[in-house]
Amino acid sequence: MDVTTGFYTQDFWTWWLALYLYLGGLGAATLTTTFLTDMYMKPHRELVLWGAWSGIVMLALGSAMLFFHLLDHMAVIHLLNPLVLINQPTAWIAWGTQFIVWMMVWGFLYALPYMMDSPFFTRIPIVKNILNWGLIQKIGRTCGRHCRLCGWMATINGIGTVVYTGLVLQSFPAVALWHNPGVPLLFTVSAFSTAMAFLLLVLNLAIKKREEDRPLRVFYERTDLILISVELVILFSFFFYLQRGSQSAVVSAQMLWNDWGWMVGFIGFGLLVPFFIELKGVVKGWNSPAPIMLASVLVLAGGYLLRHYFMYAGVYARPW
Amino acid sequence: MTRYAMVIDLNTCVGCNACMAACAMENQTPVWDNKWRTYVHDKEIGTAEDIHRRFFPRLCNHCSNPACMSVCPTGATYQLDNGIVQVDEDLCLGCRACALACPYDARYEVTYADVRKGREFFGEEAYQRSRPSMDKCNFCAERVAIGQKPACVETCVGSARLFGDLDNPDDPVARIVSSGAARPLMAHLGTEPNVYYIDDMKRRG
Repeated sequence: MDVTTGFYTQDFWTWWLALYLYLGGLGAATLTTTFLTDMYMKPHRELVLWGAWSGIVMLALGSAMLFFHLLDHMAVIHLLNPLVLINQPTAWIAWGTQFIVWMMVWGFLYALPYMMDSPFFTRIPIVKNILNWGLIQKIGRTCGRHCRLCGWMATINGIGTVVYTGLVLQSFPAVALWHNPGVPLLFTVSAFSTAMAFLLLVLNLAIKKREEDRPLRVFYERTDLILISVELVILFSFFFYLQRGSQSAVVSAQMLWNDWGWMVGFIGFGLLVPFFIELKGVVKGWNSPAPIMLASVLVLAGGYLLRHYFMYAGVYARPW
Repeated sequence: MTRYAMVIDLNTCVGCNACMAACAMENQTPVWDNKWRTYVHDKEIGTAEDIHRRFFPRLCNHCSNPACMSVCPTGATYQLDNGIVQVDEDLCLGCRACALACPYDARYEVTYADVRKGREFFGEEAYQRSRPSMDKCNFCAERVAIGQKPACVETCVGSARLFGDLDNPDDPVARIVSSGAARPLMAHLGTEPNVYYIDDMKRRG
């Protein structure tokens, strides 16, 4: 039976799901990083509001990608029920959905007290009225008193979401590229790296408090540099893991390492170029924020390319 | 206990595709979109004069440790006590995780468009499906429940498909499997499949 082995990729999960995993990881890591920064490094209202709302929008957009991809949209109600975790504890999509939903809820609650004090939100006509409702004021004050609790609930769900984006691929046993413990690790590191890049863009483009936020920007740059290095090490391990072993792995390796989009697009421009730009920034510094912003944009694009190519290079070896 | 299994003899499959036709009619599959619960691959192996044509029937392997069931987020994929793995179309989201988890390519999409077309093709009253889902073979569980064989087994002209109970030592299927003459596909993945193949002697080695 073995002489007729054929190699197949799948077309069930394509760029829609690559975007879902990308936005899920990026959104959750952005929220988590923002809240941890606010709780333990530097209280920062603008950063929390930018991080929380952009994270929530990214999580919502990512979830929309999954939702519109479903065959039966009405049946999603079964997935939103938290009891799904008791009925199907082995299904990572069930965990991921709950993590994403609760991440958005706790993320909103953490940001609510800041929204009530924000000149921007209190100027928007309908939002201003909603923020003045008695119930919202009460919730906001309670969340303000228990901001650490809200922050940690959001963080736990955020880390759950980030790790889930890798675990869901790991749960498919027939594809060697996916079914290994390196995938959750790689996706987690990549998600936090893209989150650092996104927050560097926010700090440089939207908040623009150059001197006041300098230590924060330096911290994010250094952390991103370390994360990119770790990502390169994991990819180096993947390269050798895929070279030998199952036929599925070998064919995936041939697909990835012979593809210009993977080699030049992701590894070259998505990792190596930002690595050297950020390295120069950390060692000698830049006179302008432009190189770091360029590196951030490249890291963000690379994060998507990683998931895109991982999705398309999953190979099934079948005996027909 | 009963544990249903199938043995497929690659030496006697003649590639007539009667199993595909019988299954499609029995289970109302979207044949207009080339979607089947069982499929017979037709492949030429070898070169020049030393060429051989092989027919390879495949279907859901009704694994004892089904990967499609563990990844299903709503429990739409479930297993009966007799080992048959089924899909509850009312619970199925159609997220397709089961299709990615299955090593045997047993899943296919039934969309809303397929449901509409199915009503035309099989008849409004006869058509049993009302919602989309990720469909698959269920060993014709309704037929099996009343003592009949699955449609593909019943119709096979070469008797290439045998259906029986692995937990009954007197069943021919159990005897063939315990003799080692039939092997499961990709057993190394740990799915513990319950469809076994008797290798094609001409291609052995």
